[in-house]
Amino acid sequence: MTNFDASAPEMVLVRYGELALKGKNRGMFEQALIRNMRSACASISPLRVEQRRGRITVIPERRVGDVARRLQDVFGIKTVSPAWGAEPTPEAIAEIARLVLADALLDYPPGVEIPFRVRSSRSEKRFPLTSVELDQFVAPRALEGVSNVKVDLKHPELTLGIEVRTERAYVFVKRLPGPGGLPGGTLGRVLCLLSGGIDSPVAAWLAMKRGCHVDFVTFHSYPYIGEASKQKVVALVRALSRFQAECRLFVLPFTEVQEAIRDNAPPPYRTVLYRRMMQRLASRIAQAQRMKALVTGESLGQVASQTLENMACIGAAAELPVIRPLSCYDKEEAIEIARRIGTFELSTLPEPDCCTVFMPPKAVIKGRLDVCEESEALLDVEGLVERSLAGVEVIDVAG
Amino acid sequence: MVHAGAARAILAGMQRIYLDNAASTPLSPAVREAMEPFLGESFGNPSAAHRLGVEAAAAIDAARELVAKATGSRASEVVFTSGGTEANNLAVLGGSRARKELGRHLIVGPTEHASVRKAALALEDEGFEVEFARLDAEGALDLDHFAELLRPDTVLVAQMLVSNEFGSVYPVRQLARLTRARAPHALVHVDAVQGLGKRELSLGELGCDTLSVSAHKVHGPKGTGALIVRDGVQLAPILHGGPQERGLRAGTENPAGIAGFGRAAADAAAARPATIARFTRMRARFCELLDRLPGAKLLEPGTPRQEIMPGIITTFLPGVPASVRLHHLDQAGVLASAGAACNAKRKDVNPALLAAGLDAEDSRRVLRFSLASSTTDEELDAALRVIEVVHQQLQAVRS
Repeated sequence: MTNFDASAPEMVLVRYGELALKGKNRGMFEQALIRNMRSACASISPLRVEQRRGRITVIPERRVGDVARRLQDVFGIKTVSPAWGAEPTPEAIAEIARLVLADALLDYPPGVEIPFRVRSSRSEKRFPLTSVELDQFVAPRALEGVSNVKVDLKHPELTLGIEVRTERAYVFVKRLPGPGGLPGGTLGRVLCLLSGGIDSPVAAWLAMKRGCHVDFVTFHSYPYIGEASKQKVVALVRALSRFQAECRLFVLPFTEVQEAIRDNAPPPYRTVLYRRMMQRLASRIAQAQRMKALVTGESLGQVASQTLENMACIGAAAELPVIRPLSCYDKEEAIEIARRIGTFELSTLPEPDCCTVFMPPKAVIKGRLDVCEESEALLDVEGLVERSLAGVEVIDVAG
Repeated sequence: MVHAGAARAILAGMQRIYLDNAASTPLSPAVREAMEPFLGESFGNPSAAHRLGVEAAAAIDAARELVAKATGSRASEVVFTSGGTEANNLAVLGGSRARKELGRHLIVGPTEHASVRKAALALEDEGFEVEFARLDAEGALDLDHFAELLRPDTVLVAQMLVSNEFGSVYPVRQLARLTRARAPHALVHVDAVQGLGKRELSLGELGCDTLSVSAHKVHGPKGTGALIVRDGVQLAPILHGGPQERGLRAGTENPAGIAGFGRAAADAAAARPATIARFTRMRARFCELLDRLPGAKLLEPGTPRQEIMPGIITTFLPGVPASVRLHHLDQAGVLASAGAACNAKRKDVNPALLAAGLDAEDSRRVLRFSLASSTTDEELDAALRVIEVVHQQLQAVRS
């Protein structure tokens, strides 16, 4: 009798996409991917990781299903397949294949015919059958007593995979999607300006997906906004730590900056000037931490402060390149991602952010850089920056 | 110009002054003592036949007597619940469902708590029709309109006794008499969560069928409340399971919470005359302060036709939005809340505010200060000074 537990696969096959193409750097990307996989699963199980031919095999000590689920959040991974082990003999493989297939078929409604095939690969060339022969041996045995499946080699919807190795064979059928992208951290570190809204966490996630290690900065204007607003941002960073095991949040006091702008600058320019100060403060932190760019959730035309003119005024205050992953996204597209990555519900909690403080009745639509600079000439910009930086609070969040 | 530190210094030795007692109150030492055995040695299931079970059951019986006395009911009429929300749900859902053969029309008071309002609206899916009573132009319950709403097929009327927003005391007794005459099948439910310890409660005097109360509004623990169900009144349970609480509330009882509630309810009822005298005096002090602040108003909709429970002091304070003022007060050590009526997201302005001559913009500047029997004169003095200093501070800044 074969010992088979549908809920307890033996290992996880991981396929990665783009990074396999990266020529000389490939080794570095792969090492980073494996490191990130280990830290993503650190709280679940230690992993034994084997790497061969563009695939990674992960053999966790325990909780293989949970590991597979966790790996679906690791950037650089295209798909993962939980796999069940068998003795490397055609008969044992066919028996496990039958059970794995039967379990997978539970996901389909009865009465629908599913195109199906078997696809084997052998690294153990001494195995008695060739890959094609093994396909042909397994398929009829796996399909015994199954009525809603027909073999279709060209357009299968369900492909039963078999990997034969010297010591063990593995059988799988599900291919669960990973996020794709590049392994986290391989492109270097960046600092994301996080407001508490829908867009900035999505921007951070997109930057992570492209290989950035993202840390965060937020601006807090107590007591014009409350402690709950800060906690909301912390909760967002915690949600994002699902995708990056270690996240750091810098909280900068912003009250004095906003009061100074309110008291000295033309009211319509307040929002643009707040944001210029944010770019400046974020740049200082990023430079001190050797980060290479800023990330913002700005999106063209979404609110009055996000016209091309205003974005130019705001961007001019940054001392590092500014990445705006959402600049050409529609709101709906950003919301779709926010829902998928689990930040939407948090972002829509009704806590104000500091941009709402001293909101002028009318904000400038086409800001002019010379007006910004003239207004700032009336402020002690350096002093405001220094005092804010001196009041920094650092919050580390581990995923 | 007043210094930010000035407001903070007023508290001197006091940690903070808590004026949000309509939201929740601190646990009293006597209540904690009553609860302690059941958080420790006496952990038995009250349904068990052994000595620990009997001990817990005895404590629940004793608490039931105390809650009955405090609510002017018989012990057999007390159904312990997880709090005010569950008690309101049980009355509205259970009362309506038990009468669905007699009619499907419900009348809900104009300012009911969400646990009444939303429970009633949830019944629309079961074929019930919900109509809302309204306030008149002066902010008092419109009894003429209410009388017009009553129909022979009205099966439930829900009206709160004391408004959590303004402290308004609604004419429940008249409403119950109108209901008896025109809708003989209707169950009259009174949410008395803000009334316990502040008004004399009695099923007979109020003329209602069910009455909900909550422990944590009277220095008891959170997570415990009761629905008083007049003997002979039929309700359909909303939780199904064991036979606890006469089959009206399945689930193992919470002996610690219930023992605490018994003590809290008894103490609150005993202290009631002294509490009200104290509240009245303190409210007058508040009024003196409001007279000194230009544009500030005490909100007492419906007076003098309707009474006000003096421990809830709802004010309109011109200037910055309530949320900003609350954070400033919090920083200075005074804890209050924005008027529940002043949810900026809610489009329609509370009629009671309209009655007081306030518009939508004004409604964002309503603060509620709520007292407890434990609030001391020293605390009140200091709080009034803080409120005044913070007001001057906020007036001094240009907005």
